[in-house]
Amino acid sequence: MSAHDENPPAQGGAGGGSVFDRVKRPAGGGGEGAGGGGPEALGTPPAPTDSSQLPEHTSWQQTGVAHRPPRAEDVDRRAERRAERLIAFWFFVSVVGTVLFIVVNFVGDKHEPYYTPLLGTGMGLALAGLGIGMILWAKRLMPHEQAVQDRHPFRSTDEETAVLEEEVALGWKDMGLGRHKVLRRSLLGAGTVLGGLLVVPLLNLTNAKPGKKLDHTHWVKGARMVTGEGRLVKMGDLAIGAIETVFPSVPHVNANGETEWPTHVDLHTKADSATILIRLEPGIDKPRPGREDWGIDGLVAYSKICTHAGCPVSLYEQQTHHLLCPCHQSVFDVPDGCRAIFGPASRSLPQLAIGVDDEGYLIARDGDYTEPIGPAFWERS
Amino acid sequence: MTTAASNSPAPKLVKRPGPLRTLNRAVDERFHTQRALRENLNKVFPDHWSFMIGEIALYSFIVLLLTGVYLTLFFDPSNVEIVYDGSYVPLKGVEMSRAYASTLDISFDTRAGLVFRQIHHWAALLFVAAIVVHLFRVFFTGAYRKPREINWVIGVGLLVLAMLEGFAGYSLPDDLLSGTGLRIASSIAQSIPVIGTWASFLVFNGEWPGENFLPRLYVVHILLVPGILLALIGAHLGILWHQKHTDFPGPGKTEDNVVGHRVFPVFAVKSGGFFMMVFAMLALLGGLAQINPIWAFGPYDPSKVSSASQPDWYIGFLDGSTRLMPPWEFRGLGHTVAAVFWPTVILPGILFTLLALWPWLEAKFTGDRDSHNLLQRPREAPTRTAIGAMAISFYLVLLISGGNDVIAKTFSISLNAMTWAGRIGLIIVPPIAYKVTKEICIALNKRDEEREHHGIETGIIRQLPTGEFVEDHRPKPEPVPDHPLVPTHRFELSPVGAAHGDGAGGRGGLATRARKAVTGFFVEEKGKGEH
Repeated sequence: MSAHDENPPAQGGAGGGSVFDRVKRPAGGGGEGAGGGGPEALGTPPAPTDSSQLPEHTSWQQTGVAHRPPRAEDVDRRAERRAERLIAFWFFVSVVGTVLFIVVNFVGDKHEPYYTPLLGTGMGLALAGLGIGMILWAKRLMPHEQAVQDRHPFRSTDEETAVLEEEVALGWKDMGLGRHKVLRRSLLGAGTVLGGLLVVPLLNLTNAKPGKKLDHTHWVKGARMVTGEGRLVKMGDLAIGAIETVFPSVPHVNANGETEWPTHVDLHTKADSATILIRLEPGIDKPRPGREDWGIDGLVAYSKICTHAGCPVSLYEQQTHHLLCPCHQSVFDVPDGCRAIFGPASRSLPQLAIGVDDEGYLIARDGDYTEPIGPAFWERS
Repeated sequence: MTTAASNSPAPKLVKRPGPLRTLNRAVDERFHTQRALRENLNKVFPDHWSFMIGEIALYSFIVLLLTGVYLTLFFDPSNVEIVYDGSYVPLKGVEMSRAYASTLDISFDTRAGLVFRQIHHWAALLFVAAIVVHLFRVFFTGAYRKPREINWVIGVGLLVLAMLEGFAGYSLPDDLLSGTGLRIASSIAQSIPVIGTWASFLVFNGEWPGENFLPRLYVVHILLVPGILLALIGAHLGILWHQKHTDFPGPGKTEDNVVGHRVFPVFAVKSGGFFMMVFAMLALLGGLAQINPIWAFGPYDPSKVSSASQPDWYIGFLDGSTRLMPPWEFRGLGHTVAAVFWPTVILPGILFTLLALWPWLEAKFTGDRDSHNLLQRPREAPTRTAIGAMAISFYLVLLISGGNDVIAKTFSISLNAMTWAGRIGLIIVPPIAYKVTKEICIALNKRDEEREHHGIETGIIRQLPTGEFVEDHRPKPEPVPDHPLVPTHRFELSPVGAAHGDGAGGRGGLATRARKAVTGFFVEEKGKGEH
C-alpha cells in the first residue's frame, strides 16, 4: 500500500458534479493508516501502476443518444412523493397478503373449499405487492441510465496461445506417453477395464433378469376368471354385448387340503394378465383357423394389454364390435380375432382359449396365451 | 506525503467504518474482492422485453426448488400397498400405494399442502414453456451465433432435462394417469433394439410394474436431474455473464459495447421485482386454478385407464407422434422392432440432435463464422426464420395430434379423420410454413428498403402539371433510443478515454480514475450521511 503513496494525490474529480467531488477527502491526500482495524482516514485512493489490471470498464456516455423530457418525479418534488406513496402502498399490500396467508394457514379449516384459494391469493398478494412496488421503485424513482460497457474479444493474443501450446507440448513430452509404449498400452488397458466399474452397478439395478419373463403371464391351465372386484365369473354372467375385465384366479390347496380360489389380484397379475371377456352376438364371431373352439357361446377372451404401448384397451364400441385403446387410438376388431385395424398397433390382441369347469366357472382352458402379450420387445420373434 | 494522514488537521474525516464496510473490508482482506465486485456490480444488462423470457424460466426453477423442498417433507415415495384412511371420503378403504396416499394427504390433510403442490405443478409447466419460448427468441434473433454456440447446446440440454424432470415429477404420485404414462415409458424402453428389454428391466427393476420403482424415480426427480439442471443452469448463466448479453441494434449500440442498466442498482431491483411477479402469478394459479387433481383419477391399476388420457403439455408432441405413427412393426430373424420405437426414440433423437447442432449447421450453410453480439430481427434472416417456422409447425401438428381424441370428441369429428389429417399435415404443413414465412420475410425486407429509399407515404396526393397523380413521401425518422439520458455528471465515474490529461485527476490516467471510483463507490454515501 505505502508504495503507492509516493504518487501525488489527485485533486478534484473528473469534472464538475462528479461523485468524486462529493467524496470528502483530506486536503493533504492519502494516509498511511489505511487498512487498519481502528479509526481510519478515507484518503485518496492509491493510484494503480498498471492500467492493464482493469480489463472491464463501464462508462456512461451521451453520444448517439437523444434526450427525452425528464419524468415528473425528476422535476416535481410532489410527484416524487406521490410515487413514493404509491410504492409504499404496494409494499403494504404485500404485508396484507402475508398476514392473510398466515391467518388462513393457521386459523382456516383446511377441509373448507376457501382454504387453498385464500392461501394462494394471500401468497400472490404478498409477492405481487413486493414485486410491483420494486418495479415501480426502479422505474419511477431510480435514475434511468444509459450505461455503456465495452465488450472485449475473447480470442487470446497469438503470443499467449503460442506460449501455452509450447508449455503443454513440453509437459506432454515430460509425461512420456509417446516414448513409453508399454506404459501407454497398459494405461489404456487399465482404463478400459475400469469401465467395468461403471457397468456392474448398472446391472445391479435389477434382481430380475429378463429371461423369458415377457413371454409369459400369470394364466395357468384351469385358472378361474376373477374380476377386479373379486367375483369369480360363471357361464351366463355376461349378457350379450357385455364386457368384463378378468384376471387369473390360480387354485392352490390350503392346509386343510381344500382347493382355494383366491379373489385378490396383485399388481403384477393385473399388469400382464388382464384379459377382456366379451360376449358377442351369436354368429358374429369369425374365429381364426384352429381357434374355432377357443370361445364358448359367443364368449371370447383377449388380452387387454395393447400390443402397441401396453395400455389397457378399455373402450368397447358395442355397435361396431371395436375395441379402442385410449392412449394412442389403436382400434381392434373383436369378431375378426381382435385384428388391429387402425392406429399405431400392428398386431392383433392375443386370444385366450376359455372353457368351463365342473362348477360352471369360466377357466383358461389350455393355460397361458400362445404368444407374448403386450408391446413388442427385441427378443420377441 | 506518507505523514499526511497523521498530521491531518481535519479530524472530522477520521471516522469509524460502518458494519457493512467493515464486513466488506474483512472479506476483501481475505479474498481480494473489490475489483471483481465493482466489475460485476457495474455489469451492464441491455433492456428488451424478450430478454426476460429466460428469466421467467430461471425464476420458475427457483420456485420449483422452494415448493419442491416443502413437498419432499410430506411425500412418501413408497410402492407399499396400504388401505386409504384419510379425509377424502370417496377413496376411503381403497387399496393404494403409500405414494398415492401421501399425495392425497398433502392435498387434503396438510396445511398449505395443496397450494404448494399446485404451485409446484404450475411452475413445472411454466418452466418448460418459458424454456421453449426463450429458445424461440434465441433462435429467431440469431443469439446463438458465435461465440454463444456452447450456451445454445447447454440450453438444449436444459430443455430435454426439464421435460424428463417434469415427466418424473408427475409420475411420482402413482395415480392412474401417471401410471399409464410410466407404462408407456416402459414400452418405449422395451422397444429399443438389442438392449431394450434389459433397459426396461434395469429401470423398473423387473417386469412392469417393477419392484419398488417409485423410490428410484424419486431419487431421479429430487436429486439426480435437479442436480444436473442446477449445474447446467449455473454454467448457462456463468457463460452468459462472461460473454455478456446480446442486444438488438439501436442508437449508440455497436458490436463492441453493451448499453443498458447496471446490475446495481436498477437491474437488481427490477429483476428482483420480476422474480416476485413470476412467483406471485404461480401462487395465484396454485391457489385458484386446479391442476392435476390426482384424487379424481384414482390409484394406479395396470388394467384400467381413463379416456382422454393426456400427458402434461411438454410430452404432448411425443404422444402425438406416437398416435400418428403408422403400424410399422418390423419382425424378422427372430427379433422385433416395435412401431413405438420410431416416434418416441428416433424422432426426438433426430429433432434434438438437429436442434443442438443448429449453430454449426447454419455457420456451415451461410459461411458466417464471425462473432456476433448484435441480434438480428427475424426478417433479416429469411431462411433461418422460415426453417424455424417450419420446425414450429411440425411440432404443432404433433402437439395437436397428441390431443386428437379430445378434439375429435369436442368437435364431433371422426377420430380416424383427425389421425389422417395429422399424418398428412405433418408432411405438407411444414413446407407450406417454410414457403409462406420466407415470402413474408422477403416482402417485409422489401418494404423496409423502400422506406429507406423513398421515405414514408404521407397520404397526400398531388397532381403534377402533366396531369399525373403522385403521393408525397417524407423521409423515415431516425430511430429514437429506448431510454432518456439522465444528467451525465451523476455517472461520470470514469469517462471513456475522453478526459485524458484534462484536470488534475487525469494525471494517473484511466486506471487511476477507475481505482478512485472503487473507493468512491463506498465512500460517497457515508460521507454525505455524516456531514
